[in-house]
Amino acid sequence: MSEVRLQVQNLCKTFGITKAVQNVSFNINKGEVHALIGENGSGKSTLTNMLTGIYSIDSGHFILDGKEVHPKNQVEANDEGISIIVQELGTLSGLTVAENIFLGHEDRFVKYGIKNTGAMNREAQKLLNQYGFDRIRAGAMVDEYNFEDRKLVEIVKATYFNPKIVVIDETTTALSQEGREELYKHMNRIRAEGNTVIFISHDLPEVLRMSDTITVLRDGVYIDTVKSADMTEDGLKKLMVGREVTGDYYRADYGGEISKEVVMSVKNVTVPGLIRNISFDLHKGEILGFGGLSESGMHEIGKACFGASFDREGSVTLADGTAINDIPTAIRHSIAYTSKDRDNESVVMNQSIGDNICLPSLDTLKNGAGLLSDRKMKAFANEYANEMSVKMVNTDQFVSDLSGGNKQKVVLARWIGKDSDILVLDSPTRGIDIKVKQDIYQLMDKMRKNGKSIIMISEELMELIGMCDRILIMKDGEISGELMRSPELDENSLIAKMV
Amino acid sequence: MGSSEKAATKKVAGSAKGFLILIALVVAAWVVFKILTPSNFGSPKNLLSYFEASLMVATGAVGFYFVMVMGMFDFSIGANIMLSSIVGCVLAQRFGLGYPGLILGCIVTGALVGVLNGLFYVKLRIPSMIVTTGLALIYESIANYIAGSQAPTLPSDLRALGAMPGNLILAAIAFIISYVLLNYTKIGTYTYAIGSNEFVAKNMGINVNKYKVIAFIISGAFLGVEGVLTISYGSSMVATTGMGSMSRNFFPTMGCFFGLALKKYGIPIPAIIIGEFFINIIYYGFVAIGAPTAIQDVIVGLALLIIVTLTTKVDKGEIVK
Repeated sequence: MSEVRLQVQNLCKTFGITKAVQNVSFNINKGEVHALIGENGSGKSTLTNMLTGIYSIDSGHFILDGKEVHPKNQVEANDEGISIIVQELGTLSGLTVAENIFLGHEDRFVKYGIKNTGAMNREAQKLLNQYGFDRIRAGAMVDEYNFEDRKLVEIVKATYFNPKIVVIDETTTALSQEGREELYKHMNRIRAEGNTVIFISHDLPEVLRMSDTITVLRDGVYIDTVKSADMTEDGLKKLMVGREVTGDYYRADYGGEISKEVVMSVKNVTVPGLIRNISFDLHKGEILGFGGLSESGMHEIGKACFGASFDREGSVTLADGTAINDIPTAIRHSIAYTSKDRDNESVVMNQSIGDNICLPSLDTLKNGAGLLSDRKMKAFANEYANEMSVKMVNTDQFVSDLSGGNKQKVVLARWIGKDSDILVLDSPTRGIDIKVKQDIYQLMDKMRKNGKSIIMISEELMELIGMCDRILIMKDGEISGELMRSPELDENSLIAKMV
Repeated sequence: MGSSEKAATKKVAGSAKGFLILIALVVAAWVVFKILTPSNFGSPKNLLSYFEASLMVATGAVGFYFVMVMGMFDFSIGANIMLSSIVGCVLAQRFGLGYPGLILGCIVTGALVGVLNGLFYVKLRIPSMIVTTGLALIYESIANYIAGSQAPTLPSDLRALGAMPGNLILAAIAFIISYVLLNYTKIGTYTYAIGSNEFVAKNMGINVNKYKVIAFIISGAFLGVEGVLTISYGSSMVATTGMGSMSRNFFPTMGCFFGLALKKYGIPIPAIIIGEFFINIIYYGFVAIGAPTAIQDVIVGLALLIIVTLTTKVDKGEIVK
């Protein structure tokens, strides 16, 4: 029997009327990767945020190695031996890599109030080298590095002091395959050293592969703790959703003809440093997939088609000859776009759900006097929020209160309300649980059948294979291959063209 | 060690580029005015006096920079300079406390103003711009009350800090202190951290409110130093009211813009100092031409916009507020 590292006892947390965590109790052992899974809003992140001091605890206890811990911020949590790697960016611009790694712990380099920058940089570089991240320079501004490398800096920051518990909160969704492998390596190392990883992920195959034990939460309530070895993906889904996930997950049809009618034609599009000489046609009723490594340039394709790229060369034209060179033209001509970076580029966080949904459709929501009609806006927002079954109190609630999946539903509701004909969806299911994913897949299928055309950009190969009529694979800014929908298509045939 | 050497080279290259930009601006400004008015502008002696004028405002700017990096603003800097220099002058002269009274009086008053600005800002939880505008009116009135009916005047035997080398020594000490605070203390790191993302900074255990107050105190104390130099140079200070002190906000704020614009080259403090010199060259250039004040203001305002546009490289798609 393994030794218990952390006891979670009768933990509760409420936000207003929402009971985010309700009387949750379970144990986490030493030397294990303990996955925490559940749908969006199930309370996983709330629980770990309380453990790491980001949220306060309403009631209940965390007992770490027999002693109650109650950190008030991340630094106190670190002092107790607990650290966290968050889903989004956790490093601070304007500081060096070394300053980021030791933020809140500078005192060890401070003598008589003066910080020894040289010693700090040397120490940080030593750590980076130990982790095999030699190419990252401790003295450089962290701004000089891309998202992936900054995540690596976070790995060092969260683990260098050998913490007893490392929380990894949906970090893998933001990483490319190489980044994930790097993270897995360190998860295994932490476990081998007898410490514990609390691993939050929506990727169930990944959870089964990487974890020893899995605890399932649903709507803030503890459901079960199971051994990964005894579990299947379907079994986990059942525990998470509370019933069998019935019906098709992806679309089930094969062998359908793609319409000959071209709705958008992309010719020789180049965005310096990102994509080169890209040409393709999007057909009516087609789901066209773009796959590749995170840095392959595929995310720029979406921006280019929406008129949102800078210094774009080449042309994007619609069937009627309209050239799409800027965002207003794109929206006027019924093109919708959802960004991979949902929080920063898609939703207006500190605005209501209603405002977010109405934003591109304001012209149609005016009253007789040409002023915005409150009544029309409310009705419009309600209609499409309900159609997308957004989990909310009402449409006046701020988007910042919603979980990732519900934010995405708001974004989609916005474009469905606009009745867009061409949808460019960049990573539409990123960090979203299976139930909402299924909703989104079904919505896409329905739209396709209604003659809408969809460009789907995704790092999840399975969903590309499951949903697309055609998949274009990107490598180093160029299209490296085209694959047609087929039941025989598997991940390996895509990966072969990606790397 | 190859990588760290490369890092060092890159850093040097970056700062060299920053210095190059600054020097080019200074030379360009000098050349333009020298051509326009060769006789009464830009001799070495003239340049020295422009430099002395810029030293004064740069001492305030290097402190104010801490507030601006955090994303806050302060409309009371002019009132602070006025109030602290009047207090310093009164202590030195009427109370007979001499240089210690002058220097400490100015700096402590400036720092106290900073304490008030900071506390009001974090406690009232309203934008710093509004808090400091309100407080500026109060500081002006206090200064006016202390000054009484006559403008306090510093006797000539207490004005060594108004000319070379006294002013240079005091300014140099101020620059070194601000450089050390920014680069070699926790305060500097936390200043940048809070400016970058307050929420993350808070989660890292940084007491954000405390460091905001500290930033205002640092800013206030350095504006106090500017107060010492200002009254030593000009000998007296008129206590204006009704936001009359606002005109003193301009130069330190401009210097800070240079610091912020060239922050990415890793030389904010030198950028502030050289930037102030550049602005003073333009200012005195117009004086030399004999341009009316209104025209001067238009040109200086335009120069501000042009310089900040040229020196601030905004990344494509970056949001500017």
